[in-house]
Amino acid sequence: MSLAIATRAEIIKNRRGAAFWMCLIGSAFIPFIYFLIYNLKPERNYERMAANAWRVHFQEGWQGFSIILLPMFVILTCSLIVQVEYKNNTWKQVFASPLSTGNIFFSKYIGILAMVIFLLIMFDVFLLLAGVLTDVLHPKFTFLETEVGWSNLLRRTLKSFISLLAIVSIQYWLSLRFRNFIVPIAIGLAMLVASMTLMSWEHIDKIPYAFPFLSYARTSTASGRWLENHEIYSVLLFLVFTVMGFLDLRFRKERG
Amino acid sequence: MSTGTIVKTSNLNYSFRNGVKTLDDINLEVPAGSIYGFLGPNGAGKTTTLRLLLGLLKNQQGELEVFGQAFGSHRIEILKRLGSLIEQPSLYLHLTARENLEIYRLVYNVSKARVDEVLKLVGLESTGKKRAKQFSLGMRQRLSIAIALLHQPELLILDEPTNGLDPNGIIEMRELIRKLNREHGTTVIVSSHILVEIEKMATHVGIIHKGRMLFQGPLQELQQMKTQQSVLEIETNDNNRALEILSRQHKVQQTTSLITLPYGGKQETAAINQLLVKEGLEVYALHPKQSDLEQLFIEITSDNI
Repeated sequence: MSLAIATRAEIIKNRRGAAFWMCLIGSAFIPFIYFLIYNLKPERNYERMAANAWRVHFQEGWQGFSIILLPMFVILTCSLIVQVEYKNNTWKQVFASPLSTGNIFFSKYIGILAMVIFLLIMFDVFLLLAGVLTDVLHPKFTFLETEVGWSNLLRRTLKSFISLLAIVSIQYWLSLRFRNFIVPIAIGLAMLVASMTLMSWEHIDKIPYAFPFLSYARTSTASGRWLENHEIYSVLLFLVFTVMGFLDLRFRKERG
Repeated sequence: MSTGTIVKTSNLNYSFRNGVKTLDDINLEVPAGSIYGFLGPNGAGKTTTLRLLLGLLKNQQGELEVFGQAFGSHRIEILKRLGSLIEQPSLYLHLTARENLEIYRLVYNVSKARVDEVLKLVGLESTGKKRAKQFSLGMRQRLSIAIALLHQPELLILDEPTNGLDPNGIIEMRELIRKLNREHGTTVIVSSHILVEIEKMATHVGIIHKGRMLFQGPLQELQQMKTQQSVLEIETNDNNRALEILSRQHKVQQTTSLITLPYGGKQETAAINQLLVKEGLEVYALHPKQSDLEQLFIEITSDNI
């Protein structure tokens, strides 16, 4: 009950916050680029997209998003949401309010996860919008005549979310740990770049920051398994880092 | 409303990681219904004590009781009954006054009508869609007070609430504290490094210096100490002789051009005058000089270095 209340309070805090705007604008970025590609040189795209416009559109859109932007936005979201308290000097007020450490930790966590879901959903919405608008402006495209392929889109979105869980839990913990927001962001981005360079390594499916791209890549090749290895690792790491992050906050000697 | 002692700490000790002892055996006693002025120079340990009271620092040694309950085992129940403002305002600057209050309205589970009440109380009811970042420091401080008052706490802990306020803001803050205490019976702990400020509103005073309590008690007691510290300054045409005459009955001291002795009231002053005149001396000046609290404060804190 009080977790639900604390979560509602979190949602108010993130209203018009930096994380909200970044997720909204960030989710529109790739769809907007593709919208420009389709509309500035439509004749170059008619043919290659004729067979299944949505499938190609989703494939390319998710590729551009998953490799670096999506994990980067998630890294930033974790920091920005926690920074709301550091920047405004509000941790002390939060810890001096009658909330248990669990409620404080998990309400913010839920806030972050909700923001990640918002980012993914808005990305899908903008992808769909880019397709529909393109077809309205250039009816030679086949978006409006082709089946959207909702299950494909849903599967990609869901798997992406699962693949992000490990990053969210690590970044949330780091963001709580370090008052200076540059630290978690720098660690996150360095890990992200490192995992990009290690993409062909046989153990890449154990590196959390590579998980979103792996989910993109393996959804496209469709192995037939519902959860890939790295997605299972993502869930397990999420559980481990969640417990660690919570205990770290719970036993902190100085708060706020 | 609770009676007796609202906050009681016994042998509270605290050291930060660098090993320096910030609090040394603090025994705080805040009577119910009082305005407790917690006084001390910067870095004396005021904020550390108040942070311990709010559970923002983990208690290392000593007992901490609020509303008669041990803090460690009743944290949430205690926090439900107190409101706080620690150092600079804690506000979500991207939100409006109402939105800031809404967050704590949910947390403390109070009615929406109460949000309007506290906004009115601190004079921020017409800020509308203005975000807290556009507020002046005084307005921010008032909004922080509104948050602290939202759930009608029995105990209000204010750490340097007038820091950074202009003279008008300081007076308003003082009036507000007095009003809450008078009309709602709210016990207030207010810390400050400015003695005059405490003197103007507190009923009880605690003086802390270098982590140790140097004085604790009702304001009158402190004022009595002030009287005890007052002196009578005398100037005559022959100070040496006056010194000789007066030293028979009084503890007299001579400075360059004056004689001083402990002030013993108006009648004694008159008697001294008569005595000097009778002895043929010309009395140029007879001046009772009250040591002000500021001076006393400096004396108390410097004696113990």
